[in-house]
Amino acid sequence: MTDAPLLSVRDVTVRFGGLVAVDAVSFDLHAGEICALIGPNGAGKTTLFNAVAGNVVADGGNIRFRGEEIAGLTPHEISARGARRTFQNGGLFPELTALENVLVGLHAQVASSFLGLLLGRRSAVAEASATARARELLSTMGIASIAERKTGALSGGQQRMVEIVRALATNPPLLLLDEPAVGLAPAARQRLADVIRDLAHRRGIGILLIEHAIELVMSVADRVIVLNDGRKVADAPPEQVRADRAVLEAYLGHA
Amino acid sequence: MKGRRAFWLLPLALLPVPLLLNPYQQYVLNTALLYVPVGIGFNLVVGNLGLLAFSNVAYFGLGAYTSGVLMVQIGLPWWLTVIPAALMGGAGGAIASIPALRGVRLFYLAIMTLAFGELMRWTYIRWESLTGGSMGMAVPTATLFGWALDTDRRRFYVFLALVVLIVAITDRLLRSRFGRAFLAIKDNEIAAAAMGIPTDRYIVLAFAWGGAVVGVGGAMLAISVGHLTPVSFDLTELIRQFAIIMVGGLASLAGAIVGAVIITAAPQVFISFPGFDELVFGLLIVLVILFLPRGLASLLARLHPAFVERYYRD
Amino acid sequence: MLALLPQLVVSGTSTGMLYALIALSMTVAYRATTVVNFGHGDMVAAGAYAVFVFGLGFGLPFLIAMTLAIALLFTAGFAAQRLLLQPIVAGPHLSLAMMALAIGYTVRGALRLEWGNETINPLRPYPQDAYLFGNIVVTTDDVVIGGCVLLLLAALFLLFQVTPLGKVIQATFQSQRGAALVGINVPLFHALMWGGGAALGAIGGVMLSLITPLTPDLGQWTLIQGFAAMTLGGFGSLGGAVAGGILLGITEKLLGFYINTVFIEITGYLVPILVLMLRPQGLFGRRAVLRV
Repeated sequence: MTDAPLLSVRDVTVRFGGLVAVDAVSFDLHAGEICALIGPNGAGKTTLFNAVAGNVVADGGNIRFRGEEIAGLTPHEISARGARRTFQNGGLFPELTALENVLVGLHAQVASSFLGLLLGRRSAVAEASATARARELLSTMGIASIAERKTGALSGGQQRMVEIVRALATNPPLLLLDEPAVGLAPAARQRLADVIRDLAHRRGIGILLIEHAIELVMSVADRVIVLNDGRKVADAPPEQVRADRAVLEAYLGHA
Repeated sequence: MKGRRAFWLLPLALLPVPLLLNPYQQYVLNTALLYVPVGIGFNLVVGNLGLLAFSNVAYFGLGAYTSGVLMVQIGLPWWLTVIPAALMGGAGGAIASIPALRGVRLFYLAIMTLAFGELMRWTYIRWESLTGGSMGMAVPTATLFGWALDTDRRRFYVFLALVVLIVAITDRLLRSRFGRAFLAIKDNEIAAAAMGIPTDRYIVLAFAWGGAVVGVGGAMLAISVGHLTPVSFDLTELIRQFAIIMVGGLASLAGAIVGAVIITAAPQVFISFPGFDELVFGLLIVLVILFLPRGLASLLARLHPAFVERYYRD
Repeated sequence: MLALLPQLVVSGTSTGMLYALIALSMTVAYRATTVVNFGHGDMVAAGAYAVFVFGLGFGLPFLIAMTLAIALLFTAGFAAQRLLLQPIVAGPHLSLAMMALAIGYTVRGALRLEWGNETINPLRPYPQDAYLFGNIVVTTDDVVIGGCVLLLLAALFLLFQVTPLGKVIQATFQSQRGAALVGINVPLFHALMWGGGAALGAIGGVMLSLITPLTPDLGQWTLIQGFAAMTLGGFGSLGGAVAGGILLGITEKLLGFYINTVFIEITGYLVPILVLMLRPQGLFGRRAVLRV
């Protein structure tokens, strides 16, 4: 991969008071690539992830997305530029139906203005086309049947799928998945792995993934970045990482 | 959804009603009408957006006094004061949203906004040159393009037109991506931002539109009672407005309408003693929370599918 | 001007003691249940009216009337939590806030229905005197209220810090789930703390009945002053509530004297607004705002 990276993280540092949660971490992510962030609890994975998504402001370093600096932008600005995230446990709107969740995902693409509403121009056309698109997205993931159900009442696997569909609604080039497999049964995990692979390798979406389920990481990731104490200790294909001594130490303590 | 067209028949059906009412009944009906926008604005922020803002009486007072003061001090006809009243109410809403933008939520927000409302009431008491202080100010007879709105029956038609306009616009707002964004913010604000919704802007929008609508209700109050006193905007008034949205149904336009009618009518059934309103409203809210948490609107929705609102949640 | 400063501080502290007591009573219920009781001001007012009814209506001696008023309010607080709040405890915050508010309004409505909008003059169970210390005037009210609140605070301090019951309460404040795991009946604890909060509030009401005329709207003012003291002290801190109350009392007097008398009326409104705008976590409190 010689083309310019989709996401380029350079020397990103995040401090919480005296604690250095992420310490000068750098990595690149290309289109169509699946990159997993792993590491023990407290290693800084979530903080780094939040820094990319804009939920945490980095104290130092650069984050470039499609060549544009996004460090310091708000989450909605980053989302609007095409980097969309999911959440660790339940990022859905539980009181809204699956369809409405996806429609919220399409928010920026529904053309209707407040003034237009005041002046009486109906946004019906925009609404109708967005609804059609949302239904289509749900059916391509095979979950059209749950469109009218409130997501709070769905199973864990269904919720995860709705969340991914919602994130994908705007065709984002970058998808940030925060522990998508947590709480899923083995069959649902398998299906999730297939979906992730398909998104990256067939549709060319760059995927940054935090995951604790190590077998899922090993089976889907093209590259694995290992963090320990806020530092990057490994960045290599999964089979190499598996054999890496530094990784073992990170997980097992100082051998 | 088709059945919703029938709702436009409701205001038409109300047109001949004044012929059947005596002046007092007409006054009560007018009061119910003016509380419709008050309930709608309150419900937008508390029900749809899900933020505990207790400053609705502040926008109500801002609208009422703006209308009254412009009529008395500058001699504007009432109809020219409606837009300024809406603007002042909306500005009050935007100001009340500032703590929410700073991340203040839940009870903290409730306390701040409660204090804001009380501060406004204190301002009406103290700014005597403008408001007449605690003795209040007399509001002159309203005119509409030279036509004197000097009876409750005449005011009724103007109020009805305003209420229909406000309901129609707010209905559109709530059925658009804006209304969906409000509900998304209520459910999960961080996820809403991750979906590209500028949450701060939407919070200000909901507060400002809510405040503007309530401000129009205030302008209606000014000419309906003809005499404005700060007591009309105290914490007892706040419980009346809470009762409207809780009894009617949260996050529901129909709820605000039903609530306004019931809460205005309820105290009329009994001979009114001081304290009776508070007692009845308090008990009604307690009972509704315990036994009908989604208010009377949820009963309507069960009765007929046309009453199911897309932004209505149960 | 400056010569009056000690006098202002003394009278401010006296009023502040009362605020401290009210804020403390609100904090007890809040710490236990994490629900702010928007009806608490009316509980305080109900306490004031109760002592008036027992004392003047039934002609009971003041101390007995006071004991009965406190017991009555404890029962009322306990019952309100048990019967009305516990059933919806898992519901949205709005319902909990509204329930508390609605209970308060029901109480206020009942008070107004009985007494209308007439004001009831303060009970005077002891002679009104003033003593001069140097050039500082101290009234019997200052002594009685200050003394009672100090005694109460000392008793509460001992209760919380020394007795086994206090340790249990502190532990349950820290972690409800942990308390449930070691066998503490958490719903009962919540009800007891609401009862306790209401009883403490009733003591505040009794103190108020000594110095101010009673009207049904007393609760409105009480609630705002209590909130102001709580925000000053950092929400949920028992010591902070006391410090915040005293600070509020002194601030009111100083601003009222040195800047403009209107501050005596509006400091209570301004304090929660300003404090929460500048430091959303309260002056000494932990952050309790939105975060990822």
